[in-house]
Amino acid sequence: MSPGRVFVSVDDHVQEPPDLWTDRLSRSRFGDRIPHLERDTDGAEHWVVDGQPLLGGKVASTGALMPDRNREPRCWEEVPAAAYTPKERLKAMDAAGIAYSVLFPTVAGMAGEAFGRLDDPELESACVQAYNDWLLEEWASASPRFIPQCIVPIWPPEAAAAEMQRAVAKGHRGIVFPALPMHLRDVPHVSDPEYDPVWSACEEMGVPVSLHSGASPHLLYPAFSGLSPALSDAVDAVTRPMSSVYVLSLLSFSRVLLRHPRLRLVFAESALSWAMLYMEWADHQFEHDGLAREGYDLKPSEMFQRQCYLTAWFDEIAPFVGYLGEDHILWSTNLPLTTSTWPRTRETVERCFRSVTDGTREKILWSNAAGLYDIEPAAPGV
Amino acid sequence: MEIKFGLISADSHSGFDRNAFTSRMSAAKWGERIPQVREVEENGRKVDRWCVYGKPRGDHVGNCPALMGEPFPTYPQHWEEMPVMGYDPAERLKALDADGVDAEVLFPNPPGGTFFEHGDAEFELDVVRAYNDSLAEWTKVSDRYFPVTIIPYLSDPGTIRREIERATAAGHRGINLQGETPSPLPHLTDPYWDPMWDACQSLDVPVHFHGSCGLSAGRSTRFWHGYSPRQGHSAMTATSATTPAQIIPHLVFSGVTERFPRLKFVFAEAGIGGLNYVLAACDHEWETRHLWTEGLSTRPSEVVRRQMFTNFWFENEGIKLRHDIGIDNLMWESDFPHVTAFYPRSWEAMEDVLQGVSAEDRRKLLYENAVRVYRMDAVLRTAEHGTETVEAHA
Repeated sequence: MSPGRVFVSVDDHVQEPPDLWTDRLSRSRFGDRIPHLERDTDGAEHWVVDGQPLLGGKVASTGALMPDRNREPRCWEEVPAAAYTPKERLKAMDAAGIAYSVLFPTVAGMAGEAFGRLDDPELESACVQAYNDWLLEEWASASPRFIPQCIVPIWPPEAAAAEMQRAVAKGHRGIVFPALPMHLRDVPHVSDPEYDPVWSACEEMGVPVSLHSGASPHLLYPAFSGLSPALSDAVDAVTRPMSSVYVLSLLSFSRVLLRHPRLRLVFAESALSWAMLYMEWADHQFEHDGLAREGYDLKPSEMFQRQCYLTAWFDEIAPFVGYLGEDHILWSTNLPLTTSTWPRTRETVERCFRSVTDGTREKILWSNAAGLYDIEPAAPGV
Repeated sequence: MEIKFGLISADSHSGFDRNAFTSRMSAAKWGERIPQVREVEENGRKVDRWCVYGKPRGDHVGNCPALMGEPFPTYPQHWEEMPVMGYDPAERLKALDADGVDAEVLFPNPPGGTFFEHGDAEFELDVVRAYNDSLAEWTKVSDRYFPVTIIPYLSDPGTIRREIERATAAGHRGINLQGETPSPLPHLTDPYWDPMWDACQSLDVPVHFHGSCGLSAGRSTRFWHGYSPRQGHSAMTATSATTPAQIIPHLVFSGVTERFPRLKFVFAEAGIGGLNYVLAACDHEWETRHLWTEGLSTRPSEVVRRQMFTNFWFENEGIKLRHDIGIDNLMWESDFPHVTAFYPRSWEAMEDVLQGVSAEDRRKLLYENAVRVYRMDAVLRTAEHGTETVEAHA
């Protein structure tokens, strides 16, 4: 790695191209239900699966790479190449100082949730497998600097476990799990023991599970409909990471973390600066409600310290690292979403790591992620 | 009032005598729909409950575990178990003195602070007036009480405005809002509500969002059939940490704070550490998206420091960031007589949180900011005396 590449970004998104699913799914079997782009009379394109809109009726989500980042592309011709071609993405990564990039989907859902809404588990599985195969063939094989993560069918748990085992055997290094599958279709609550095969499979394979913010509309407080797209998106961008608080609380208090002590959860696009308040509060409440007498071996903050990771991209580190510790914070870029620090990523890193020791900086920018994703342990020139 | 102890609670909970509503509402018009304590059967057991519109609310008849003794927490099931301090303003002064608290800002307690659920606008308006009148009486008993007005959501904005003006004239000092307006009313930041914001700005009374304030975002993660009641309570309460981060972006990015730059917003029982996130995240999006081109001329963190306030009571770590957040934006709260209150050891608990905090910062956090936000100076007898007392206490 060149000295200019200073960190591992644990949360970036690939833009799926128009032929990803149409090339891989059986036309005779699924017909027009296969995810594809449709063009309106005014020339705008949007994703459709099984007659339903994908990606909120947009063609792509690449604001950070656009000339005017408040204007998303209207059709495929306007999508910047760095969003969907590995070669161009590597150049952007060089410019931003990203040595390795951990990949999330876009059309398949920022949190891998889109196909979980389908009523047909066969179509769901076919879409999921096609994405997982494509990511290895097109991105992971293009450069070792891309860390592929698979998506999963949400139900039944045996199918989710089988697909993640298949994908990991072929080269995937993390699982993108839509945090609350019961919000996507009528399946059991994620805290129920029925999901234990999923968590157990992740423990056995030793791969981290990424829970990306905004996995369900029930986790979000939508903006006033009278706002401009730029203002509405800004509201969403600030409120979306709050969904991580709800998910962290649920998986702690409902004992999923206690039942699966080797499960490692990465809260992607979580941000950081809320965590101290939440953790103090959860411990305070744990104590006032007497939960130590209700069979919890660990306080919420101790579960976090054993198994969870938060991902920052614009937060200052120094005010929080003393309490949260340096071992459970990761760094990210959020390319190519509008909220990304691109193209001012390097200067953002310098600002956010002011007054932080070299050792702490190295852990957050590099070795915490290196341990999770099995990347070379020492960072060059951090 | 006077600053005798040097401690003001910016979030406590009032209480209602069982006849608070029956004595103020027309029996001929509303009959048994008037909020009242009635005996009901629950799981084969006879218990007392506040009933509203004929329907029982909650699993207790009073929310005052801090006054109920052991085993903790206990919630009264029969009116006879209700401590008089839980609803009588004169008796309650003894609790304030015992805890060393000079004054309190008063939020709802059973039968509750919202009455829109029955879809009856006329009923809601009459209950809201009775509620506000009942707590206005508290201010006649003692000027150490600062009740917060509830509003009739289902009435037109002009009526809401007049109720805020009426209650403020009667002694109230602020309004309490749901984080999301009841469906199908317009969004919280729709200009529909501008008469309400304008009334509060003109009267200089703060707008409050308390705890999780009825937000539906994340609600489903607070409930799971596998939780015991206490586990569910912990899972629900701690996520109130998100409230400022859920609501402030809406107020700032939708331009409410541009249109009403002198309006104050207080996030009660939401902790203070959440403001770190709001400051950093709103500024990040404002810069990244060039939102000054969208009519937002002021940097969001400046807006937050100008207009937003939040409360602390247990945060040893959060208090260390008081200058990052804004030392003038933070107020102590007791939450008396609810389960998280440290009563009657508020000073002891607060001393633990405020270790190493300078005398000047302590004064701001413990009462000066509250005096300013709630304009208590109008009723303060001697400010000088207060300062001396606090230093003696410290």
